[in-house]
Amino acid sequence: MRKERDGISVEWVKLELLRTAYATRGGMLAARDPRFVIGWYLIFAVVPWFTHNITVLAALFTVCAAAVVLSRVGPLILGLFVIGFVVESLYVLFAAWFFGGDLTTVLALVELTLKLATISLASMAAFVSLDPEKLSDGLLSLHAPAMLSFGVSYGYRMLPVLMEEFHTVVDGHRLRAAPLTDKGFLGWRAVVRTATTLVQAFYPLMLNTAKRTRTTVEALETKGFTYAAEHPDGRRIRLAHLRADRWDHLLIIGTLLLVAASFALGQAYPLHGGVR
Amino acid sequence: MTDIPRPGSAPAIEVEALSFRYPGADRDSLTGVDLRIEHGDFTAVVGGNGSGKTTLCKTFNGLVPHYWSGTFDGAVRVRGQDTRDRSVGALSHQVGYVYQDFGNQLVRPTVRDEVSFAPVNFGLADHRERTDEAMELLGVTHLADRFTWQLSGGQQHLVALAAVMALRPEVVVVDEPVAELDPAHADGIYAALTDLNTRLGTTVIVIEHHAEYVARHARSVVLMADGAPVWHLPVREAMERVDELERHGIPAPQVVQATRSLAPWAPVPLTVEEAAAHLSAHACEDRPEPDRPSEPAPSARAVAPAGSRGAPVARMTGVRHGYREVGGDLAVVLHDLDLTLYDGERVALVGGNGAGKSTLMRLFTGLKVPREGTVRVGGTDTRTVRPAALADQVCYLYQRPEQMFLKDNVREDVAMFPRGRGRPDTDTLVTDVLDRVDLTGLAHRDGRLLSGGQQRRATLAIGLAMRPALLLLDEPTSSLDTASRDAVIAMLDALADTIRCTVVATHDMHLVAEWAQRVLVLDQGRVVADTTPAELFADPGLMSAVGLVAPQITRLGLHLGLNPPPLTVSELLDRHRTTRRTRA
Repeated sequence: MRKERDGISVEWVKLELLRTAYATRGGMLAARDPRFVIGWYLIFAVVPWFTHNITVLAALFTVCAAAVVLSRVGPLILGLFVIGFVVESLYVLFAAWFFGGDLTTVLALVELTLKLATISLASMAAFVSLDPEKLSDGLLSLHAPAMLSFGVSYGYRMLPVLMEEFHTVVDGHRLRAAPLTDKGFLGWRAVVRTATTLVQAFYPLMLNTAKRTRTTVEALETKGFTYAAEHPDGRRIRLAHLRADRWDHLLIIGTLLLVAASFALGQAYPLHGGVR
Repeated sequence: MTDIPRPGSAPAIEVEALSFRYPGADRDSLTGVDLRIEHGDFTAVVGGNGSGKTTLCKTFNGLVPHYWSGTFDGAVRVRGQDTRDRSVGALSHQVGYVYQDFGNQLVRPTVRDEVSFAPVNFGLADHRERTDEAMELLGVTHLADRFTWQLSGGQQHLVALAAVMALRPEVVVVDEPVAELDPAHADGIYAALTDLNTRLGTTVIVIEHHAEYVARHARSVVLMADGAPVWHLPVREAMERVDELERHGIPAPQVVQATRSLAPWAPVPLTVEEAAAHLSAHACEDRPEPDRPSEPAPSARAVAPAGSRGAPVARMTGVRHGYREVGGDLAVVLHDLDLTLYDGERVALVGGNGAGKSTLMRLFTGLKVPREGTVRVGGTDTRTVRPAALADQVCYLYQRPEQMFLKDNVREDVAMFPRGRGRPDTDTLVTDVLDRVDLTGLAHRDGRLLSGGQQRRATLAIGLAMRPALLLLDEPTSSLDTASRDAVIAMLDALADTIRCTVVATHDMHLVAEWAQRVLVLDQGRVVADTTPAELFADPGLMSAVGLVAPQITRLGLHLGLNPPPLTVSELLDRHRTTRRTRA
């Protein structure tokens, strides 16, 4: 018996992606100036690479985990991260044991895993909090090329359309392709079928998108997109609304204090691993 | 319509000896065009597919020749200035353009951002006032913070128009506004355009297939054929040239056809009311009696009485279904729906946007199962089987044909289903079906590269090759010109022999009038009427409640007191003449 599910289903995945992309859940960072959010993210993207101290890394990891909770990251993204993190950790232990490593090897691998996990958590917290307009304005104000910042916002604009289109094409394959009579051992035929369908669905998706973009490109021309690239007035107006308040400054100061505290903690209770 | 062009002022658009050929094309798309559109005019550009309407209009805002660089001879002047001397960006302050596929013209996430995009790009200091003004003008202020992908088609069109108006252009060009909208939304767009024209004096140029809208809203008409205007005339004179319009694939509005036959001496009517007035005035002594029950309803379209209905093909009982929204709420689309489709029926499913038509059809395919209630197709509960198994009995054709094209040529797409199911006669079947929809010569092409009408026929071929008992079509006639539309209706007519029951979800009341036997009216997820086309059109209360507009000829019949109202022009003519004879 089939049933309409609200839990894990294709519809749910689509909704979760939209909620994540459009920052519909709000949260601590969502109300902040995008430039400061990007700055906040950069701190955590860079700092972990300056230490081998596992205590420091664990503290940074905790700070980012707290930020993820405060930023209301959705279950889909968080779930994928946790699965990835757990699998990675198991792999580390297995690899260390298999290749006859000792505690040092494990610690070295744990260190790398922690660094990557910290950065992933920070990017989740930051990008879940930035809706398309904020992200593109933030990038523009940091002097990213106009094409990049527009591309980001246009990508977000097309995301729901493409997801819908992709789903339709996959449905078409489900209905019209040869039905599977036998799923094979452990359902391997079904897996192969799903994989080929996903790949085949890209052909119509790409062509349909290319057709759409022709109008878009002409419209951009009439809306002065190329004009704006040559004249700075538009950029100034677009960014005029970006104004940092004291909360934004507090965010960065607080973050830097927490990072400093992490390093102090690492000095006091060092748990070294890997290369000294 | 009091706005008279100021004498002496430069015309909005002036085209002189213009020829244009796209790069790589083997013939000119425009040849020797001379045209003058006065400031403040409301001009409709009509003509068959490939007559150069869109190319002509793209010369007005400089996309031709600045963006499409081909062989360009002659001159186009906007308010006296040559378009070749100005950039597309500069011209867009004077000429706004709304595309036929307006959805792709929206490039920003939210409505406010979209409308302010151009003024901000051009660095205009008053961008905020312009944005608010444009949104106010088109009545979309309440949508300002919505994401553009959340809007209905009609709302998207208004937003695209608002975004264009934010630059305060003197001229707006709108390419086929009615093509992808339901009648209520289409009327809304035309009302907005008329408002811009009368209140702001904006010159409006529409490309339009539907003579009915041209007659009601335009002030002058340009007929295009083979890359050049045949004539440019005031609307009433244009509508008098019924035969010439017909020759170029633009059938005259139904009221014009009827009036020409019944009262050839009367001036050409532009609206139903005018036609009714003429016909009543010229035939006031022999006005037909209203309500003559003895009048036999045309036998072909009468629904069979309940007792003689065929076997049930599909059935819904107590169906309730809805979707989760981004916010997490459940949007219920269908409420407690009970519905049975019988053998041999032609069913039209009508209702405004968002009434639940597509959801209802999708439930029959089994791609979705209802949250409550059961859907049975040929006795099988859709919950118990996979959609692929149901596909042997049900075929659903999407509204946008390109969504049906999964392969790189039409023949492969048509063959996909029968070959996958291992039908031994696949090749003969495919050849037959392609022949039937008259696409044999184009079968090797990618479906996406065909014209609108050909695409529609290709999807019909895909459906036919599936040999379903139940065929579901979503808006099969939308965005087709009249000739292609008639071809699709004729093809649907011919399907009766292979398909047991056909259901069409549509806004096209002409299709309902000419093809359907049974009409299901859906409103906010409930079936509010299960009736025949004639009965539906005779109930103005119901029609307006669900945002439908009956074909002109039906409304004219009602004005003249014919009940049940006529569904085609010939029916009105016959009955009008018979009644007059009986009276005499």
